[in-house]
Amino acid sequence: MNDDAKGFTVLGVALLLPLILVAVWASAAGRRYAAASAAESDPSKQAAIAAVSDDAYCTPALKAIIRRVAGACGLLEGGGGRGCQPMQAQKVAALSGPDFNAMFRPLSKRAHILQFDPMKTDLDDDARKMVEKAWSDQRGASFFFVVSRASPDGAADYNEGLSRDRAKSVLEHLQAKFKDDDLKNQVGLLWLGEEYAQLSEEFCTWSRSRSGACTPTDINRSAFVAWIDCAI
Amino acid sequence: MSNRSLLAVTAAAALLGCIFAAVSTSDFMQHLDRQVHAIHCSFIPGAGKELGESGCKAVMMSPYSSYLRESVWGGVPVSLWALATFAFLFARAATLLWRSAESPPSRAETRFLFVATLLPVVMSVIYGFLSVTQVGQTCKVCVGIYVSSAAVCVAALLAHRSNESVDEPTPLSRYLPWFAQGVAFVVVLSLTYLIAAPKADPKKALSGCGALVSAEDPANVMLTLGSGEEPAIEVLDPLCPSCKAFDARLAASAFKRRLALKAVLFPLDPTCNWMVTEALHPGACAMSEALLCAAGLGATHDDDAALDVLRWAFKQQDKLRELAAKDEPAMRAKIEAQFPKVKGCLGSAQVKSKLTKSLRWAVSNAIPVLTPQLFVGNARLCDEDTDLGLEYTLAKMLSPKGKAARAAVKAPAPPRPAIVPVAPPPVAKPKPAALPFPTEPPAEEPAAPSDEAAQ
Repeated sequence: MNDDAKGFTVLGVALLLPLILVAVWASAAGRRYAAASAAESDPSKQAAIAAVSDDAYCTPALKAIIRRVAGACGLLEGGGGRGCQPMQAQKVAALSGPDFNAMFRPLSKRAHILQFDPMKTDLDDDARKMVEKAWSDQRGASFFFVVSRASPDGAADYNEGLSRDRAKSVLEHLQAKFKDDDLKNQVGLLWLGEEYAQLSEEFCTWSRSRSGACTPTDINRSAFVAWIDCAI
Repeated sequence: MSNRSLLAVTAAAALLGCIFAAVSTSDFMQHLDRQVHAIHCSFIPGAGKELGESGCKAVMMSPYSSYLRESVWGGVPVSLWALATFAFLFARAATLLWRSAESPPSRAETRFLFVATLLPVVMSVIYGFLSVTQVGQTCKVCVGIYVSSAAVCVAALLAHRSNESVDEPTPLSRYLPWFAQGVAFVVVLSLTYLIAAPKADPKKALSGCGALVSAEDPANVMLTLGSGEEPAIEVLDPLCPSCKAFDARLAASAFKRRLALKAVLFPLDPTCNWMVTEALHPGACAMSEALLCAAGLGATHDDDAALDVLRWAFKQQDKLRELAAKDEPAMRAKIEAQFPKVKGCLGSAQVKSKLTKSLRWAVSNAIPVLTPQLFVGNARLCDEDTDLGLEYTLAKMLSPKGKAARAAVKAPAPPRPAIVPVAPPPVAKPKPAALPFPTEPPAEEPAAPSDEAAQ
C-alpha cells in the first residue's frame, strides 16, 4: 500500500466510524421517540390532572344534601343569585337527625364549631379568627358549609330565626374580611333551629371557638363550619 | 522524543478528544427521543452516568450546547463538530505516522496539523468562558475535551518543531485539499445528523399539547415575569429544580423578550396542594406565600419585589427545601429575615386563601399536576419541548403560522361545575282520610314568648 492509499484509508476509517455512531444513535433515538409517542395515549403514563378534592367520606347522601343546600342558596348556575331560602331540614336531608350528624363525623379534623352567647348572633373575636382560619384552609374543597343551630330552650320559631341570623353572621364576616367573589358561589347556609339534628356532647371535643365547659346546650348555640372535600 | 513519537502522542490525544466528544454527542443525541436520561459526567470517558442535576446536564441543556436550535429540534450539537474535528486530527496525525520511512512528513504537513489543532483550542477557550460566565457550571466531559484540545495542540506543535525535513516554500493551494478534508468531516457528520435525527411533529410544534380553558385571571393571582407582546403563562413552583433550570433556559433564549410572561404558582407540596400526596418540594407552599406577599394581596402587584423573592428562592432552592423538610417554621423565619416586607402576611389567612386560588386556577383549567408548564397564548408547550426543543418550538409557535395554528385550537370544555343541582327528596303525600268529617280550622297558636335566653 502506498502512502496515498494509506492516507485515504485512515481518513475513510476516521470518518466512517463517527458517521456510523451518529447514524446508530439517531436511529435509536428515533425508535424510542416513536414508541414514546405511541404510548402517549396510555392514561397510566400521563400526569394527573388538577382537580378538586373528592374524599372517601363524600357519600351520595352527603353530596345530595350539599346540592340541595346549594340550590336553596342560589349557588347553582342560573339559581338566581345569593340568598338562602328557608328550607325544612327534612326536605334537605330526608334523614333522621342523628343520621344527618353522623355524616359529618369524618370531618372532625376539618370542621370548626363557632359558639355564640345565648340569644346572640354576633361572632366574638375567637369565633372570627376561627372562621377566617377555616375559610383560608379551603385546599381542594368546593363548598363551605355553614350549619347553624340554636339550643332547644325557647320557642321553635324564634330559634329558627336565631340560627338563621347566626349563619348569616358567619357569611357577612367572611364577606367583610375577604371581599372574595367566590363566597357567593361556595358558601352554603343551612339553619336548623332547635328542631333537627341537635349536636350531642361528643362534638364538644371538636375544634371549638370557646374552651372550657361544654354542655349540649352550649354546643348547639353554634355554627358548624367546614369545607367539604367532595366533588359535588 | 522523536518526531514519530510526538505524532503518536498527537494521534492519541486526538483519539482521547474523539472519545470525550463522542460521549457528549451520544448523551445529547439520546435526548432526541424527548425523554429524560442519565448523562455521563466524569473525567473518565464513559464513566459517571447520573440522572440528576449536574454541571454536564446544565451545560447540555443550555442554549450554547448546539447551533441552529430555531430550525432543528435541539439544534446540531457542538460536540458533534468537536467529534468531527478530533476525528480529522486523528486521521491527519495517523496518516503522517503511518508514512513509510522513505517519505517522512513534510514541514508543511506538520505545520498544517499544528494550525488545525488551534481550532479546538480556540473553541475550548470560548466554551470554557461561556460555561463559567453564562451557564455558571462546568461540565467534566467538556473539561476532558478542553484538556484533549490542549494536549493535541502541544503535541502537534512539538511534532512540527521536531520535524527535521527541509522547510520548502509551500503554496497556499497545497493546504486547500487538507483543509477541504477537515471541512468534509464536519459537513458529512452534520448532514448525517440532520438526515437521521428524529423530526419534530409539525402539529405539536405549532400548536402545542393541549390548551387552557381560559387564560383569564379573575382572582388576580398571576405575577408578571416579562413584558413582551405575546401573552404567555408559566406554571411554576419556586422550589422546583426543573422550574429553575427552565427559567434559566428561557432567560437565555431570545424568545423570552417577546413574551408577556405571567406566572401562576403551583407548589408541589401537600401542605397546601391537595393534588400531591408527597412533599416533592418541601417548603414550596411557604415560598409561594412569600411571593404572593411580596407582590401584595391587593389589586395592584409589586412584581419587581416578587421577582426578587423568586430569584432568591431559585438561588437557595436546595438549602430551603432541606430546611423546610426539617423545620418549616425555621424556613419561614428565614424568608422573613431576608424579606421583612412579608412579615405579618406570610402564613396569614388572606395569603393562604390567595394561594388556594392560584391552585384552583389550575383546577379550572384542568392542567396536568406538574411543573414547569408554559402556555403560549392558550396553547400548552409540550413537556418534551421544554428543554432541548425550547427554541425550536417557541420559534414555531410564535411564527405567523404558529399563531394561526394556535388560534385554531379549540379551548377544552370547562371542568364539571363544582356543584350540580339535585332534586329534593320526595315527600310522602298523606293518605286521605277514609271518612272525611268537616272540621273547624285550628285556632292560631299564640306567638312564642320565650327563647333560649329564658334560662
